[in-house]
This record gives sequence, structure tokens and C-alpha cells, in this order.
Amino acid sequence: MTMTTKRRVLGLAATAAVAAAFALPAAAQPIPVGHLMDNSGATSDVGVPYGQGVADALTWVNQARNGINGRRLNVLGFDYGYQAPRAVSQYQAWVNRERVVAIQGWGTADTEALVRFVTRDRIPYISGSYSAALTDAAGKSGRQGVEAAPFNFFYGPSYSDALRAMLQWAKQDWERRGQQGRPRYVHMGANHPYPNSPKEAGEALARELGFEVLPAIQFALTPGDYTAQCLTLKNQGANYAYLGNTAGSNISVLRACHTAGVQVQFLGNVWGMDENAMKAAGAAANGVVFPVRTAVVWGQDAPGMQTVRQISRISDPQGQAYRPVHYLAGVCSAMLMVEAMETAAQNGGQITGPRIRDGFYARQNWVPRGFEGVCAPVTFTAEDHRGTMRVALYRAVVTGDTSQGSVAELMSNGTMRIEPVTTIELERRRDWLGW
Amino acid sequence: MATMTPAGDYRSTYREDMTIFPTRGSRIALWVGLALLCLAPLVLDRYLLHLLINIGFLGIAALGLNILVGFTGQISIGHAAFFGFGAFASAWAHEALHIPVALAIPLAGLATALIGLVFGAPAARLKGLYLAIATLAAQFILEDFFARARWFTGGVAGRVTEPFSLFGFAFDTDETYFYVVLAFVVVMFAGAANLMRTRDGRALVAVRDHYLSAEMMGINLAYYRTLSFGIASFYAGIGGALYAHYLLFVSVEAFNILFSIQFLGMVIIGGLGTIKGSLMGAAFMVLLPEVVQSLADMLAGGAVDRALKLGASISYLREMAIGAAIILFLIFEPDGLAHRWQQIKAYWKLYPYSH
Repeated sequence: MTMTTKRRVLGLAATAAVAAAFALPAAAQPIPVGHLMDNSGATSDVGVPYGQGVADALTWVNQARNGINGRRLNVLGFDYGYQAPRAVSQYQAWVNRERVVAIQGWGTADTEALVRFVTRDRIPYISGSYSAALTDAAGKSGRQGVEAAPFNFFYGPSYSDALRAMLQWAKQDWERRGQQGRPRYVHMGANHPYPNSPKEAGEALARELGFEVLPAIQFALTPGDYTAQCLTLKNQGANYAYLGNTAGSNISVLRACHTAGVQVQFLGNVWGMDENAMKAAGAAANGVVFPVRTAVVWGQDAPGMQTVRQISRISDPQGQAYRPVHYLAGVCSAMLMVEAMETAAQNGGQITGPRIRDGFYARQNWVPRGFEGVCAPVTFTAEDHRGTMRVALYRAVVTGDTSQGSVAELMSNGTMRIEPVTTIELERRRDWLGW
Repeated sequence: MATMTPAGDYRSTYREDMTIFPTRGSRIALWVGLALLCLAPLVLDRYLLHLLINIGFLGIAALGLNILVGFTGQISIGHAAFFGFGAFASAWAHEALHIPVALAIPLAGLATALIGLVFGAPAARLKGLYLAIATLAAQFILEDFFARARWFTGGVAGRVTEPFSLFGFAFDTDETYFYVVLAFVVVMFAGAANLMRTRDGRALVAVRDHYLSAEMMGINLAYYRTLSFGIASFYAGIGGALYAHYLLFVSVEAFNILFSIQFLGMVIIGGLGTIKGSLMGAAFMVLLPEVVQSLADMLAGGAVDRALKLGASISYLREMAIGAAIILFLIFEPDGLAHRWQQIKAYWKLYPYSH
């Protein structure tokens, strides 16, 4: 073989190899998905179990279902420590360098800051923030400061709607207990977009329902000594107090108020109470009413729990771990995205941002396949991203000493219970959209 | 002008003594370096460009702090607040006053300089630790202002802003914005290098070296100390404004005390009282977390991780590494990277007969 022919053969081989690389079916290329987590910041107490739920569910989709239509998900995780600027910087890296098609997000400050970006880049963004400002998909609410958010989704009732449901329950509770006069309501939380998000909506409805609304009380997102806040609460004579922060700092308030002997019915934000917080707060957590997003909690049974237990084994092969409510919510939000991607991929369709968004509109009363009885049904429309108006309220019940034993043991022996209180079906009022 | 540095001091005029480029080679090296940087967006990937852009705007702000700390001998632990003020001022000027971004950035620098003059006023009377505490107050006052002044900053929710644009062309990608930052870096660093050759620049150095002697020579201490704060804040403001229009989102939580300490770390690691050290320090601070991150990624799930049960705390390695780097530099290289760079150059100049 002469030198030239050898070279020619090599050239041909190289061309063939390149051609083969390009001709590989698109099915083999993984789908890049961003996953923003708070594992080290102010909300990491609830960010860790939620992020674990999302991560496990997406890994499980790759392992058990071989990805989306044969294409595996390439999940790019990033711990941003609840620093909105870090999230924005990471978002730009994901979009420009990794070309993600969808993102599992987290906090209110970062999600609201990214609304304009994800709308421009047409990237579905499934947040852990349930801020009502993210629900105005077409921008028709006409509210000051609320922009159209056609690519923002979340699983569960918005913070505002959850608070509205708790206030309606509080009103009934007040009457049922035969109390006289007007009940007093107070909003508590940090001066941060997340606790601020439902503040006005809650106070407005409280007035509408005949509550006396007291001046809001501030406490930071991090655990600390909040005795002063509890004494204010006591002096004001509040009857119902909304805890707008996440579990970690709420525990501090609950314990301080327990010590100070404050008699008030606490209403927890959806991220404000869970099994871990109950164990940490002990008797102080007894009686807190809060919304739960899934139809069951860990340890209960439903057709879909079998799938969830398989997912849990991804990060806990022994199957010993107790998964708090946020883990289950993380699984459900991940699975909504997965199923919207499957819808986008149907009939050989491309998995692109706009097609995934349309996948969210494809079903009414939507429960992801295999999660029946776990994930609550949701409905999204092109104008209204309030997935659900049904708010299931539960009460944390602590009957004994929680310092001994694991969460799993305490839950199984009944020292800690999450008891259903009621389910409130809110009216889908137009003037509540985006608020 | 000589091509090589002569062996011995043959400078006979002040002009030769004050020159920025001692040899023709150094001048050519600078132009070649700039030309290479101009080609960077064509060859580097976006991740590296992102790091270079960060080095650029942080370097400008660090240079400001270096003028204050390294050249004038004052102290500030509120530099991040001025950086933040510049970021908010530029975003606000663009949004509320509809000033084009290209103009809003220098305006933000001037506005920050004014704020710096106000908060620098105590420097006229205070020294050392007392001044440090006064600047710490600036940090907290400004941070609180950012969280409350909704008209200016958007409150705790922050403010989304627009990309830099010139004559209808938007510099909204890493490739294009790189040139904007590069241009600012060149102007600001050339400005600082020349400032130090002027009468005012020499006065600043005199204040640092011995304030009593400086005063006896007729230097107005209060004036130059306050001026130094103004200049430092101007640089911080420009750096902050460049940051704002790169990230396109400004939020109060970014400008905390830790960030101020990081700026101090940059000038200490880079080298106090050197112009190029500021850029080196910024480069070190930007690249260190990336290196630690990749080390942490390698560790994650590995044998070391399991043995030490690091798990989630691996993400804290980053913060710890920065602290460790500052301590190690103070012990082993108190004159900073710029000094080390000089030594490396000297080594090769004298090779193989170095003493």
C-alpha cells in the first residue's frame, strides 16, 4: 500500500466515523436538566429532603424507565446556598453552556428574579417556590410588579392560597370554639421575598373574614433567639399567627413561645413544618396547623406509594429512611416535569422548552402515572398556573418526649402524628390570580 | 529606551524613574498580551470567559481597595457595600432615569464615589482599628439601606436589569461582554497606574509611609485620606455596575461582609501597593473556588469522603479554602503574588547565575 492510498483510506475512515457520530439517533443523546438545590443555605432544612426527592425521582426515571422515550436525563445539580445571585449566575451557565431544556428550581427570590430570563429563553422552570406571583401565566392579572410567567410551574397550592385556606379554617375554628369578639391575626416571617410573598394576600382576606390584623412580626430565616417576638405576640394578644419561614427558624419561634407560655394557634407555611421539625421542637410543635401537598405521608399506604418506595431506595438501598413530606413533594414535582417531557416526546416530537410547557397543559386533574393516591391532582392552563385550589390541612400532634428515638420510630409509635384537619376547596377567583 | 534592563541604576531623571515601561520589551509584552486577550472570545469556551469576566470586574474593585489600603494605608471592611451601591445605582439609573447602560456605568461610579466620600469622612480623624469599625458601619448601613429602599434597589426581592448596549448592539453574551469588561479594565488600570505618578498619587503614598512626615511636608492629611476613599469607591462602583449588567440581576444578599473580606483577601494575596497585584489577587480569588470545587467533586463519593463522612459539608470546603489561603499567604508570601512574580522574573533574568 502506498503512502497516498494509506492516507486516503485513513481519510475515508475518519469521514465515516464523523458521519456516524452525526448520524447517531437523537435518542442516544441525554437530555440536560438543571437542578438547583439549597443544601447549605438558610432554607437547607427543607431544601435537603426536597432536593433529594427530586434527584432520586430523576435517577429512578433513568434506571427504571430508561429515561424519556429512551433518552436519559442528564441532571446537573448545583447547591446555591439560597443566594439568589448565585442562582442567576448558574442559570446563565446552564442555558448558555449546557443548553438545559428544563430546570428544577428552589427559592422565591431566585425564581422570581429568573422569571424574565426563563420566559425569554423559553425554559420550563419547576420551582420549590409557590409564590402566587408565578401563577399569572399570561400576565392578565394586571397586578403591580407581576409579570407574565408562562414557563413557571410548581406542584401544590400557592403560598397565598394555602394561607387563605388556613384563614378560612381559622375563622371556622374560632366560631366552633364559641369565642367572642374578633379574632386577631398576625403575619410572622423574615423580610425576604419568600415569607413576604403571601403577606398582603393573607392580611387582605383576614380583614375580609372579620379578623383584626395586627402589625407583622419579623424574625430571620436562620434559627436564633426569638423570645422578643413571642413576647410581642403575647402582648398583642394574637389568636392566630402565620409562620412564613421554613422549619428551622420556625422551631426557634415555637420553642421560645412555648417557654414564654404564649397561647396562640400557629399556622405553618407549607415549608414551615414537617416531621423533622416536630422532632426538634417537641411539645412546642403540638397543634401547629399546616398544609400538606401529597395525599399521604410516609408510612401510610396508597397505590402510588410502591413507586415512591422504589424511588426512595435510590439513595437509601436498605429502605430504612423515613422520608418527610417535602421528599414526597419533590418526587411529585419531578414527575410532573418528566411526564410533560414524555408528552413532548410523543409521536417523535422534539423535547424543547415550549413543547414541555404544552405538556403541562395536556391533562386535567393530572396525576403522574404510577403515583396514584400520592400526588394530588393538578390542572394547568395557558392563563392560570394555579395547579390546585384544594388545600389539605393537617395538624402536628406531639404527645410525648421526642428527644429519644428516630423520626421513623416516633411516627410509628404514635408519639408524633400528622393528623388531617380538613380540606378546603378555594374558589378559583380571578382577582386572586398572581396574588 | 533600552531593550533590556541594565545591570545597575542608570536613571538620571525623574521621568525615567517614574516610567511605567522600563524597557521596550515590557511595552511590547503589554500590547501583545492585550491583543491575545482580544482573541480570547474566539478560542476560549464560555466557562473560561465567564471566569475572565469575573476577574475583570472584581479586579477593578480590588484595585480601588488597593489604592485605599495598599497605597494610602487606610483600611476599609465595607468595600462590598460600595460595590453593591454601584451595581444598584447603575441598574436604577437605567430603569428609572432611562439612561443608556453605557452611560449609567460611569455615572454609577461617580455616585458611589460621592457615597464613599461621605463614609470616608471619619478617615479624616480616625486611624487603624477605629477606622476599621467606622467602615464596618458603612457596610451595615448600606446593606440595610439596600434591603429597605425599594424605590432604589427593589427591596429584598432585588432588581432585574438590562444588558450593556452600544448603538443598538447588545453585549449580552459572554463573548461580547468580555470586550466591555476588557475595555474598562484597561482604562481603569491605566488610570490608576498614572494616578500614582502624579503629585496626588505621591501624596497618597506619603500619607501611607509616614503620616507625620507627610503633614510636615505640607500634605493635607484629611483631604488625601478622604480623597482616597472617594477614588476607592469610584473603582468599586464601576466594578459593581459591570457586575450588574453582566449578571442582569442585583440583590442585596450578594454584598455582605464576607464579600468585603474577600476584597481584602484579594489585595493582600495580590500584593498591597501594587497595581497588577490587584488583578492577580482577583484572579486568585476567582480561580481558587473553581479549583477547590473540582477537588471536592473528585472527593465526593470517594474513599476520603466516606472515611471522613464529609457528605453535604463538602460544599463548605470552598469557604474554608479561601480562609486558609489568606492565612498561608500572610505567613509565606506577605508581599503577595505581585512580589512573587517579580522574583520569578528576576530568577530568569539572572539565570543561570542567580545568587
